[in-house]
Amino acid sequence: MNRGRGRIRPPRRGLVTDHVDFDDTWGILSQSLKQIYSKDASALSFEALYRNAYKLVLKKFGERLYAEVKMLVEEHLKGVASVRVRPLVPSVMVTGNTALGNTAAIERRLGGTRFLEGLQGVWQDHQLCMGMITDVLMYLNRIYCLDRGLPTTYAVGMDLFREQILRHKTYNIGRALNTVILSQIKMERDGDIIDHGPIRSCVHMLESLYETLEEREDEKVYLTSFEGEFIDASKEFYLKEGQRLLQECDAATYLRKTETRLAQERDRCTKSISTLTLHKIEKVVDEFLIEKNIRAVMEMDSGIRFMLDNDKIDDLKLMYMLILRVDPDAKIMKEMVSARIVEQGKDVNSNLQNAPAEAASTAPGVPSTSAAAAAAKDEKAASSATAMAIRWVNEILMLKDKYDKIWESAFHKDKSMQTTITRAFTKFINELSVAPEYISLFIDDNLRQGIKGIDETDVDVILDKAVTLFRYLSDKDIFERHYKTHLSRRLLMNRSLSHDAERQMIGKLKMEVGVQFTSKLEGMFKDMDSSNELTTEYRQGPGADNKIDFSIHVLTTTYWPTKVVGQEDKTCTYPTEIEALRESFSAYYLKRHNGRKLIFKPNMGTADLKATFSGKKHEINVSTYGMVILLAFNSLPQGSSLSFSELQTITSIPTDDLRRNLQSLYIPAKTRLLLKTPKSKGIDPADRFCINDSFSSKYLRFKVGIIAVNKAETEKEKKNTDEEVERDRGIQIEACVVRVMKSRKKLNHQELMMEVVNQLKSRFTPDIASVKKRIEMLIEREYLERVEGDRETYKYLA
Amino acid sequence: MSAEAENDQESVLLVSNDGFQFLVKKSAACKSPTIRSMLDKRSNFAEARENRIHFENMTAPVLEKVCQYFYYFDKYKGMKDVPEPDFISPELALELLFVADFLDC
Repeated sequence: MNRGRGRIRPPRRGLVTDHVDFDDTWGILSQSLKQIYSKDASALSFEALYRNAYKLVLKKFGERLYAEVKMLVEEHLKGVASVRVRPLVPSVMVTGNTALGNTAAIERRLGGTRFLEGLQGVWQDHQLCMGMITDVLMYLNRIYCLDRGLPTTYAVGMDLFREQILRHKTYNIGRALNTVILSQIKMERDGDIIDHGPIRSCVHMLESLYETLEEREDEKVYLTSFEGEFIDASKEFYLKEGQRLLQECDAATYLRKTETRLAQERDRCTKSISTLTLHKIEKVVDEFLIEKNIRAVMEMDSGIRFMLDNDKIDDLKLMYMLILRVDPDAKIMKEMVSARIVEQGKDVNSNLQNAPAEAASTAPGVPSTSAAAAAAKDEKAASSATAMAIRWVNEILMLKDKYDKIWESAFHKDKSMQTTITRAFTKFINELSVAPEYISLFIDDNLRQGIKGIDETDVDVILDKAVTLFRYLSDKDIFERHYKTHLSRRLLMNRSLSHDAERQMIGKLKMEVGVQFTSKLEGMFKDMDSSNELTTEYRQGPGADNKIDFSIHVLTTTYWPTKVVGQEDKTCTYPTEIEALRESFSAYYLKRHNGRKLIFKPNMGTADLKATFSGKKHEINVSTYGMVILLAFNSLPQGSSLSFSELQTITSIPTDDLRRNLQSLYIPAKTRLLLKTPKSKGIDPADRFCINDSFSSKYLRFKVGIIAVNKAETEKEKKNTDEEVERDRGIQIEACVVRVMKSRKKLNHQELMMEVVNQLKSRFTPDIASVKKRIEMLIEREYLERVEGDRETYKYLA
Repeated sequence: MSAEAENDQESVLLVSNDGFQFLVKKSAACKSPTIRSMLDKRSNFAEARENRIHFENMTAPVLEKVCQYFYYFDKYKGMKDVPEPDFISPELALELLFVADFLDC
């Protein structure tokens, strides 16, 4: 480029220097703008219009142009309002008269639609024309408006539309629009079909308009003049709707209708009104259909109780979903589910408590004064207790299965809901004081007979169920006590079907509550194993007395429950052969384990006897006592008899045991090895016994059942157990308090309580009073003392 | 030529005040928002209908430069390191500035 040489030519005339007369130019312009309004722009030259506006702005007539345009648009809109819109405004809307018949309703709807469509047309025209005018006046907008920070002509046009059309001082167009839209929505809610299009475009119009020229998002005319009214109308509608549904529907229908309403409102927000309202209208439905009424719905006859009882999974799911909308914790649902579970659980519990009464009344009427009858009754109660325990456990498990299913499919496996269910189960299970025993009995029954012929995985399932229930127990120590008793009986009487299953069960318990809980149980197994070894070794060793086939269980006292093994030493005078064997083994054992004490428990063992009756050989399994009794007759001449007191002298078996063992030998016909004179059930010291020579049995081997060491606890035993439990707990509480204080040295009462309760929780729930009592006792015994001046704080004394 | 241009939707005819005509690619000419609005079919002004714009305030030399600029811009649109336009003569510079303001580009 030749910069130096070229001279910059001044702009040509006509651009800057021409004189411009505003009125002339505006005359041309305004004429053309009016032509634009009449929708006939094809003859107009954009360039000419643009150039004219350009000139005016250039000549500093911007301000005037701006004002004139504004006036022009305003005038035009005034005309539109009275000529085009006014006739469309439905008269009923203006007068507000709504008491009309059916035909009027149809007319009203048609009128409404006409109005909406008309308004829609006016709006579209206005938008289009304003667009064109703004385009033509672009130079004005670009230069003048921008410089002064004024809104564009388009924005001004929109603002004028709101002012002149919607907010028209006398025609109430905006009001009518709201009323029409709301009445159309009302019709749709009532089930009529309406045309969404006109509503949508009118709402769109409201959304495009703002309250001020600043055009702030939260000041859309839609929000300021329509939405509030819509929400209010909706509130009114749903208040009535809620009351109507409550009266007309059952719970499930109510829920479904609510769900449908929600979907409809959502749909409405996308199809006819604005999505801006979605959240707000949902809240209205939530409030009036769910929050307000849900309790009433749940309490209906067809409510939550019915749904739970009849496994109405879908209904429950829907209910849960709806409640979550208004309360993310679904508190009320949890409350009600929990209440129903507890109720059902209590039903199971109370059925149980009614059952024994029946059992007692159906039992044969035996004279209650006789000891045998009392014993028999006790036994009966015990075995029916087992049946009851199993029934109870099964019912609880059924309930648990049921709620597991509901939880899984209706409650989306919500964790806190699970907690609620667990708490409910815990509550009613622990209300039944025999629950720990029953659960142990259930396991006992399964391990003794229930799992016969079932494969391993199924056994696992059964045991898992038991563990589930175990988890609910708060008095785990009582369970442990019962379990120990039952286990020891299974082991000693060889009643257990599978040692694998036993160990599996203990493994599961160990996983639940830890080693401390199961160490004694495992000790029992160890005893059994080492006893087997010991027996074999003794019999192979020198000096063994092998005339009698012999096996022995040597039990560690602390592992085994005293209830089974017996607290007091039960002795008896053994027949000489047996006595010799006993001494031989004792000598062998004490030589191996120096310093131990070996106590024989004749009440626990069994013996196999060979005997010939009616020319037939039999092998009879009797208790050790039974054996001692029968052998007493061995040395007598045939046909002679012994009295009860003579037997007592010979055998020196404790009276109760002797009585029981004798009973099992003369009462049941199948094992009637002895005859008693006189023939009655009870026993007097003078009654005489002799061998039943005419006894016969079709079995080569048979067993004389000792009147069973009962399975469930009888009343008396129960009292003992309770006392023992109390004592045991006391010791554990003390130990725990000392443990805590030893490590903390100084602790405030509340904290100590919390710590102790916390530590003992896995075994049982200590009651506050007894912890307090134990603390007092520890203070008395000078393990602790109260801190001077602060009576609430304890100090550990080393 | 004018009749042709009328039917040719890809191009637009730009006419100077002294009667010179320039057939320009429409997409290039629409670089100017003013021209774009003029050709808007929805508003349907005479320019859009005839596909012809008469610029009362531009002489042929100025309009030629404008057209050259449209093509120059169209060619290098969105590119980096483009050569400087070499068609602007200093004599016309001031006038072109006015026109640029008019066309908003």
